[in-house]
Amino acid sequence: MFSDLILRNSRRSRKENGLFFSSLVISIIAFYIILSLSRQDVMIFLAKMESDAVSRLLLMIPVFYVLTLGILFFLIYYACKYQMERRRKEFGVYLMMGMRRKKLFGMLLAEDLLGSGLALIIGLPVAVLISELISLITAKLVGMGIIGHQFSLSIPALIFTVVGFMVIKFAAFLILSSKISRQEIGTLLKPSVESEKKKAPAFVYGLSAVVGIGMLIATYSMAISGISWSRNEMMLLTLLLGFVGTILLFYGMRALIALLIKKGKTNRKLHVFTFRQIQENVIHQSTSMAISSLLILAALCCFGAGIGIAGANKLEKNHVQDYTFRDYSTENPEEVLPHLEKTLQENGLIQEFSQIWEMRIGHVYEEETTTDTENATEDENESMDAVENSDAMGDTVTNENYTVISFGSVIDEVSKLPQSEARDLVINELEAQDMSKDVYLICLSDYNKLLAAAGKPTMTLAENEAAVYQDRDWTNDAEMQLFNSVLADKPEIMLNQIPVKLTGEMQTVDLVTDRSITLSFALILPDDQFLKYTNGDYTLYVNAILNRENGKSASLMSAISDMNEQLDNSDLSEADIDYESYLQNMGRQLFFMVAASYVTIYLGIIFLVVANTIIGVQFLMNQQKTGRRYQTLIRLGATYQDLCSSARKQINWFMGLPVFVAAVSSLFGVRSIFSGVISYRDSESMGQMIAIAAAMILLLCVIEWVYMTVVRHSSDRYLLTLMEPQREE
Amino acid sequence: MEPILNMENLTKTYGTVQNQTKALDGITFQVMPGEFLGIMGSSGSGKSTLLNCIATVIKPSGGSIFVEGKKLQSLKGEALAEYRGKTVGYLFQNFELLDNLTGRENILLPTSLHNVGEKESEQRLKQLAEYLEITEVLDKFPMQMSGGQRQRVAAARAMILQPKLILADEPTGALDSRNARNIMEKLSGLNQDENATILMVTHDSNAASFCKRILFIQDGKIFHEIRRGDESQQEFYQRILSVMAQLGGGSGNVL
Repeated sequence: MFSDLILRNSRRSRKENGLFFSSLVISIIAFYIILSLSRQDVMIFLAKMESDAVSRLLLMIPVFYVLTLGILFFLIYYACKYQMERRRKEFGVYLMMGMRRKKLFGMLLAEDLLGSGLALIIGLPVAVLISELISLITAKLVGMGIIGHQFSLSIPALIFTVVGFMVIKFAAFLILSSKISRQEIGTLLKPSVESEKKKAPAFVYGLSAVVGIGMLIATYSMAISGISWSRNEMMLLTLLLGFVGTILLFYGMRALIALLIKKGKTNRKLHVFTFRQIQENVIHQSTSMAISSLLILAALCCFGAGIGIAGANKLEKNHVQDYTFRDYSTENPEEVLPHLEKTLQENGLIQEFSQIWEMRIGHVYEEETTTDTENATEDENESMDAVENSDAMGDTVTNENYTVISFGSVIDEVSKLPQSEARDLVINELEAQDMSKDVYLICLSDYNKLLAAAGKPTMTLAENEAAVYQDRDWTNDAEMQLFNSVLADKPEIMLNQIPVKLTGEMQTVDLVTDRSITLSFALILPDDQFLKYTNGDYTLYVNAILNRENGKSASLMSAISDMNEQLDNSDLSEADIDYESYLQNMGRQLFFMVAASYVTIYLGIIFLVVANTIIGVQFLMNQQKTGRRYQTLIRLGATYQDLCSSARKQINWFMGLPVFVAAVSSLFGVRSIFSGVISYRDSESMGQMIAIAAAMILLLCVIEWVYMTVVRHSSDRYLLTLMEPQREE
Repeated sequence: MEPILNMENLTKTYGTVQNQTKALDGITFQVMPGEFLGIMGSSGSGKSTLLNCIATVIKPSGGSIFVEGKKLQSLKGEALAEYRGKTVGYLFQNFELLDNLTGRENILLPTSLHNVGEKESEQRLKQLAEYLEITEVLDKFPMQMSGGQRQRVAAARAMILQPKLILADEPTGALDSRNARNIMEKLSGLNQDENATILMVTHDSNAASFCKRILFIQDGKIFHEIRRGDESQQEFYQRILSVMAQLGGGSGNVL
């Protein structure tokens, strides 16, 4: 009989609180997905290429696991608390009838275990399925035909999921049941009366709302203007302002709703009742509404950052060279190509490449070189990697009065153009080059080969002419357009105190395979000029393109993968030759993309789920607590439709308010993340950013709509039970 | 004169066929306009069931109830809601005021449910509030009112749409004697001045003494009926007590 009771109670809890039960299932799925990350196809693939970075990410997984554990603990604790509150009277009756506390505890524990077990039985297969789906979809999205998909069930992930879930469930249960068991039977039997909260005078709420809004505005402006990103303390201050501002806003919101009640004096059906209900909810739950709103905001920012990072690291489809070789065996750049060709020849690999050509990059050679400069140039020769993603050129120490390059006239000309963001950026760029007193030089014939391979028209330059090169990572469309318009007038600059005319369009084709080596600014010079200015001292890369006619392998990806294997097995490394393939490069990019977007989107979804569940459960619990009011309304002649429409309106407002505040804040938050986390140049044009924001808001709307529909359904169902005439004892 | 309420042979049974309880066992009576009818009986006699049948909160098992010539059992949806709000006004033992609405908002709730013009309802509100002496608590929440004030606000809510019939379920049940007397005086006054028809269920003889006619119910049947003639309220009260004594199993009527 006792077990029957347990079964029945547990079934009833699930039925009455389906929303809570489904969030239990979702939390199980979340645990499994984050824990099984290492078994994802993409990660297995990446582990081969970027094992260091991958293992560092995998080291982070326990952190995310614990973070998720903490967040979901709160969710479960809150939802369980309401469940227990609702059953207080029942517990009181059990105790009155002589049930011992120990037995009551045992009964509740059994019910809890039953529910958790069921959630696990439903959740785990779904989790495995979803994790497989994500694995398949990401593999498809990045076009990795080379990795065969295989079904992977991660046993440790399963174990940790079950353990983690049970631990938080049990912890919440212990805390709550010890609270209940400490109470006297009398207090349990009495319906828990909401202690009337002390009311402050109306102007306090109004003031709180105004101050809250003011603080939010301050937060937004700090975030947008970039002050927040300048120092850690400023960031902390911004976050604190935003947090307190949101809480104050929700605390004071009752005043705003009171205004709405007064304004809507028209005799619309149940208008006053609806808004009084909303107001009551806002009064009792202002803090949790604020927290929910902040969680939704955090979710939106996570989505924004994730999508932004993924978008900024877009895989380039139109790459030119498949391989870049570097030879460390010789100091003399002229020996590099023959040495490489010889090595490839010996290993029978040379015919696999359709094209092999040099790419020469150097600095202006200074006549009055000091020892310092020599050292610096040597350094640079040894490792071009030092240039990675930065204007490291400033490091080169030169004679203070000596000017390698001067853009004076170009800067003047750009300054004459009408003011725009692009113009200011171009000026900044040029001034930086001016200051650095150094510039990269590229050899024209090499670059022309690159252009030809990319299927673009080649360039010709006269003796005193140069073309401007800037990597795509360092510029955007507006800047390029602006620069090109300046270049059309063939402005003159001073290179090593000799006037040189800038001509042609700005050039952007990637010089080497490794996309993390980029030049923010360089000049392309005719071959003899290049040799003259660099004085024969330059860095040499060898680019190569695979012979695509061989057609041995299905895709280029697998062709490169095969070639990598062959190269690794050859005596290339013994000849001190290093290579970078498009595949490795893609792997690196892919890793950043997958890692960043995976983690942020994962966190975003968790935040969203938690926020919505908390607020949804709270609404439903509150509705049941005030069920008698609805019964009174029925007696006063309210139809089922009237009640439903009033409840729906309440749901829309109660859930909509936090979402609305979060959405407004996210506009600024995401904008700020774009400018703070992702450098301006990496971010796409404004239009694309707006598109991302729109997509995010759409996604949010869909998720909110789903939640609201679920809550509305539960509310309708509950109201229907009230419509059934009940026998009054 | 047409009766407002006409109840014919009403029955209500609870439970399964093997184990039936007859809460109402063939009740027949009429209520004429302007009447103040009391229904008395010990607990479990079926008086609340009777009231709930009229309020359409529960469905009778047999017989019929006509209010203003319309059969209640045939009302559905909109018409039923209209009936609940406009034709009858309900006064609860526990007031059932919505505690998150002010007194004024509580009283105006039926008008918003039944689309009554704002001006008209404001006027009626003013009149009722003055009569029931609740003008000063109109903008307070129920928590801030005394029990008596709450019941008077509830009375105003029941009266706001000028229903044909006011159903009062133990209106004095949760009040002390002073407040009980006060609300009964008000109800009786409304009955006399506004010609409001009131049907009140009570087991408080004191409250019942304000009625013009009382039906006594026992085991689901009408057991006795008394009318207040020219006698004083005190004399009527004594008469009620003697009937109650019999009803409750007084010395001459031991089971």
